[in-house]
Amino acid sequence: MLKKPSATAKPLWKKAPFKSSYDAVIIGGGLHGLATAYFLARDHGMTNIAVIEKRYIGFGGAGRNTAIVRANQRTQENVPLYKEALELWPVLTRELDFNLMFYNCGNLNLAHSDAALKAMRTNVATARFHGVQSRVVDPKECKELVPALDISERPRYPIFGGMYHPPGGIVRHDAVVWGLAKGATAKGIHIHQGTEVTGIGVSNGKVVSVETDKGKIATNRVLNAAGGYSAALSWNLLGMKLPISVLTIQAMVTQPLKPLLHHVVSSGAYHCYANQTLKGEIATGSHMDPWPNYTTQTTARYIKHQAEALIEMMPCLSGIKFMRTWGGLADMTPDMAPIMDGNHPHEGYYLDCGWGYFGFKSSTVTGKYMAQYMATGQCPEILAPFALRRFQEHRLMGETAALVNYTPDN
Amino acid sequence: MNRLNHLDTLKIRPDESVTIEYLGKPFQGAAGDTIATLLYGGGVRIFGRSLKYHRPRGLYSLNGECSNTLMAVDGEPNVRGETTEARNGMVVEPQNVKGDPARDLMGFMDKLSPVLPAGFYYKMFHKPASLWPKAIKGIRKAAGLGKISPHFTMKGSFDEIYLNADVCVIGGGPAGMAAALAASQAGLRVILLESRPWLGGFFDYRPGLYDRGRSLADRVETDPNIRVFTRTSVIGSYTDNLITAFCRGDGSDAFDERYLEIRAKSVVTSTGCIERPLLFAHNERPGVMQISCAHRLIRTWGILPGTSAVFSIGDDLGLEAALDLADLGMEIQCVADVREDGQNEALADRLAEKGIPLFRGWVAAASDGDPKVKRVSLTAINGVRSREFECDLIVAGAGQTPVTGPLTLAGAKQRFDRRTGFFLPVDLPRKMHAAGRMLGYIDPDAIEASGDLAGVKAAADCNGADDSKIREAEERLGDLQGPARGTKFIIGPVKTGKTFICFDEDTTVKNVDQAIAGGFDVPELIKRFTAAGTGPGQGGIPGHNLPLYVGLTGQSPDLDPRPTTVRPPLTPTLIAAYAGSNHDMSKRTPMHEEQVKAGGRMERVGVWHRARRFGDDAAAAAEIENVRNNVGILDASTLGKFRIFGPDVLKALDRVYVGSMSRVKSDRMLYSAMCNEDGCIIDDGVLVKRGENDYYFTTSTGRAGSSAEWIRYHTRYENWDFHIVNLTDAFGVINLAGPNARKTLEKVADADLSNDAFPFMGYREFSIKEIPVRAMRLGFVGELSFELHVASSWMPALWKIIEEAGAEFGIRHFGLEAQNVLRMEKGHLIIGSESEQRTTLHDVGLGFLWHKEKREADTVGAAALRHTENQEGRLKLVGIEAQDPQQTPRDGSIIVDEKIRGYVATARYSRTLEKSVGMALVESELADIGTQLEIFEGEKDDERLAATVVPMPFYDPEGRRLRM
Repeated sequence: MLKKPSATAKPLWKKAPFKSSYDAVIIGGGLHGLATAYFLARDHGMTNIAVIEKRYIGFGGAGRNTAIVRANQRTQENVPLYKEALELWPVLTRELDFNLMFYNCGNLNLAHSDAALKAMRTNVATARFHGVQSRVVDPKECKELVPALDISERPRYPIFGGMYHPPGGIVRHDAVVWGLAKGATAKGIHIHQGTEVTGIGVSNGKVVSVETDKGKIATNRVLNAAGGYSAALSWNLLGMKLPISVLTIQAMVTQPLKPLLHHVVSSGAYHCYANQTLKGEIATGSHMDPWPNYTTQTTARYIKHQAEALIEMMPCLSGIKFMRTWGGLADMTPDMAPIMDGNHPHEGYYLDCGWGYFGFKSSTVTGKYMAQYMATGQCPEILAPFALRRFQEHRLMGETAALVNYTPDN
Repeated sequence: MNRLNHLDTLKIRPDESVTIEYLGKPFQGAAGDTIATLLYGGGVRIFGRSLKYHRPRGLYSLNGECSNTLMAVDGEPNVRGETTEARNGMVVEPQNVKGDPARDLMGFMDKLSPVLPAGFYYKMFHKPASLWPKAIKGIRKAAGLGKISPHFTMKGSFDEIYLNADVCVIGGGPAGMAAALAASQAGLRVILLESRPWLGGFFDYRPGLYDRGRSLADRVETDPNIRVFTRTSVIGSYTDNLITAFCRGDGSDAFDERYLEIRAKSVVTSTGCIERPLLFAHNERPGVMQISCAHRLIRTWGILPGTSAVFSIGDDLGLEAALDLADLGMEIQCVADVREDGQNEALADRLAEKGIPLFRGWVAAASDGDPKVKRVSLTAINGVRSREFECDLIVAGAGQTPVTGPLTLAGAKQRFDRRTGFFLPVDLPRKMHAAGRMLGYIDPDAIEASGDLAGVKAAADCNGADDSKIREAEERLGDLQGPARGTKFIIGPVKTGKTFICFDEDTTVKNVDQAIAGGFDVPELIKRFTAAGTGPGQGGIPGHNLPLYVGLTGQSPDLDPRPTTVRPPLTPTLIAAYAGSNHDMSKRTPMHEEQVKAGGRMERVGVWHRARRFGDDAAAAAEIENVRNNVGILDASTLGKFRIFGPDVLKALDRVYVGSMSRVKSDRMLYSAMCNEDGCIIDDGVLVKRGENDYYFTTSTGRAGSSAEWIRYHTRYENWDFHIVNLTDAFGVINLAGPNARKTLEKVADADLSNDAFPFMGYREFSIKEIPVRAMRLGFVGELSFELHVASSWMPALWKIIEEAGAEFGIRHFGLEAQNVLRMEKGHLIIGSESEQRTTLHDVGLGFLWHKEKREADTVGAAALRHTENQEGRLKLVGIEAQDPQQTPRDGSIIVDEKIRGYVATARYSRTLEKSVGMALVESELADIGTQLEIFEGEKDDERLAATVVPMPFYDPEGRRLRM
């Protein structure tokens, strides 16, 4: 069964010469950018495309998230998108001939109040209405799913029940970056790492070029998929203000252990989620830092909070050790839903940003539809609700029921 | 116990024995032993099996950066045996192995390495797709070091302390001690942190320097300005000199582990060096150990590491160790030194005197033996000659690696320095200093002088020294030997075998080559692809070798090697230690205990504990009935309560409230709301005027914490003169509601409470049995109600007075569930329950609260309120009635046709009305009275409940009862 793989001998992705003209330029060698590039080639035959990455591919959120995937979002605008994203992992694994290591372990979200159970019912009903498996479970079933949970009355937030979502799980995030880079370059797309975009040329309302520190590129399509830096880029290069606050979000892993958690488990009351990676580490994180911040610095408060929350939820974790914590940037919109838009105010300028901390699970499917958008110039129906103008019209999406807490006024 | 008990450098107390259990058998050592030294002394050589290849692993470092001695202790996995002090009765088990690690059944994994190249898992197991789910099971089982039971209970006591200091010194070696003394001499308060149980560092195991280290330590320990924390590992270093650490108890301490957070005005990092592992074939076989490991084993613990050793080293410390071990009775067959020249010739001469051959320009190429070292082959670095030696110990080192974590975590950069071969810290954050060996100093005088200089600089940060003092210290250091030339990065010419760059993840040099061939050219990506440095010991072993290998073998596009990123915690840290005492930061109202006694089921509501209901009935039917028919008493102390006053107070209130604040009167409440910039309702409450430019207002419980911030934020550019006082905790609130509320209160109040004297929405201040109260006539639950605000300290007394007064009228407690049903029947909304984040003031039917004549710029959200006033396609709050009264839709259910059209906010069976009613947010097209709705609860996929949109309020639509 085990054959020595030969692929190790040749590079996963090719280095490419820097050309002075491309049919499209994608800013950001993260997951959204790479996925869009891949699908432009796969579905639309567009291969004369450059992905420009200031650092190295996967430097930003792509390599800093905790790799959880699921499709039990709150609104009907979101669920179909994430549902298709879940279905894409095996497809892409096959197409890219690269194991993205989708571990379909299912997600358990805990409720610690009647209000939380109510919110879960909305999510469950919305998921099931769209044919996505999800159900409300009682504390006993929570314990059966995750034996490490303390379902007694002892914890400060006793468990009232939960939402179990079997189709979700985790994916190896680095594998997705490398697999997409492999697939995109195999189709002829150029990835330029260590290259910084310094300007976007606009003439008569149309994008005409992208300037970089390696030279100018003539192009009439540019995608801003720069993650945490997308809003700053839009403002600095085009004077276009996006309703995005950037905040640090932190995550951490414990030392690796033999299998302990068989599902992703999360809790809003504790601001805490945890899952066990295939390597055996318990990866855990929580909410963003409560103030805007462009650094990826970690804080003392956060890791202590995480420890406190984890051992209330799962007391056995007291006996294991944190070994690494890191920070990433979350580009948050006022309604915690992304901005996917194009062609206004500048024709040829496309946006795929504001993903906050949902950017990983959505990356591939977004790439598919953003590619369609860029190739045809027409917004795919599934992306229409995510247009920027919803903020001008005060029509926020209902992805989060509760008030969001990341502006300085809170 | 066979130890060299005569050595004056020993840190064990040989006459105090310690016994632990390992693999079911007792092992005896001495007080002061670590688990690993105790077992090593007892003859154990193989401590565990490696993660991927199940290779035997032994004692290698003793410095704490290597995971070879990770073991399970009393059920706790991944305990670092080499740095954990042995305590009587510990039950120790090896990890990643069944039975004795000397005979591991999984040892065959090592033979599979050719089919398990770097990143093999990305390229395998996915074809055919059906293979993957099965493979996952195998991968999960194989992965992970250490095991923990889901029922594991952590024993011991954990807490935290928060400290301040002028100067915090990290590292209790000679440089750190010198820095601490220098700062102390300037009259500053110093904290010194040292991970070992004793001070001394680089001096404490070296025969010529031990006494010097001891005398420094004595001075430090007796210095009243210096607070010494030993057994304390620094784990984090953050902006503005915040240092985190944890301290292990010494057995007699009140804690097992204690978390420390230290804020210092200045920080000195004097963390010294760890050894750089020598890369050669099978460089991690049990029997290979680092120089300081062998040296400390004998000097600190009195254990001869082997009988016959070969050294392969690259600096004078290796020569010194070889000599000392030879002096203490170990056979040293030869010393290979990667340096062609530049050795300390005095040491070389002494080796010659002892007849120990020194091979200059030679290095170990491979170890042999299974499972332990039996043989080593040495080779000239040019590969032309080689020799083999039979031995049971290979002492190997490739020089030093500075420990810069505390600096880089705080933002310092690192630059590769070709002289020292170090990634030297540069661009240090303000008021952070580096000292000692980590800068490349090797001369004892220079190390101390470097520490002294850092201490003086730190003192200057605290205004305890001036520039002349710094210049003097600089001159003293300048006169001494500068940073030493580092050891050249060399890998012996190896043809076969595995050369491990990372022990934890079994990453070999070949794996790194494979990654580079795969297109990964920066160390950070190679680290991710090969997993080197991502295991339990993080970058301790591969931290420098990986970037050096990539950088110096010409594989990287960079001119200089670039280090990988070090991240906190610098030492793996127990979650229990981080959590500490895990204090529950929550609030209780003055009536908490009373309510618990009365059968209250308390729940966390935000930061508060509140009574959901009294008794077992989840529907709280009796409580509801009693409010409707008699009188109920509710503890509403969690409401946000504020005083706001000052000449510009009205402007500030007008800015955040949608209503016109000049309409707030002194004897009448005004109900108003706050919106955000999108016109979405974020809070509601009442206001009253208590004096000239002096107002009192309430917010919802959830907004109490943020309301003051909200007002300050939205007035931040105005320079208005007003002040806010948060009285939330200072006042308690009693809500007395029901037809008998007035009768109850009239018995005890010194005021006229008749409907004419104190009408609905009125505000009065009076006394109840001499207790001053602020009274509001509100009607949230739809009955005659008095909301009494009283100083928290008076709450229990007032509560008792009212309960006694109400006894004859059937007074009883009611909780949140009863309140929820009562107010829902009345059509009163709770923000966050009947509104979403996107719900505007108009959407919930409160648009009338908005005073349109106020200038838009004056009110947060006014522009949006105007924009959305008649906007189509929004979700609107409506009343609904279930077709079947017995089938109450569950809260959170969705309203559907072919799409989702709305959400059920709150619905209950109303005993009062004998039907199931509720509130829902539905698209405006469905909001007309009489519209039929289909509700999907998310239980059975094809099941729908039928409901109709009906007018609100459901109960007492004319509002007579609250105006009684």
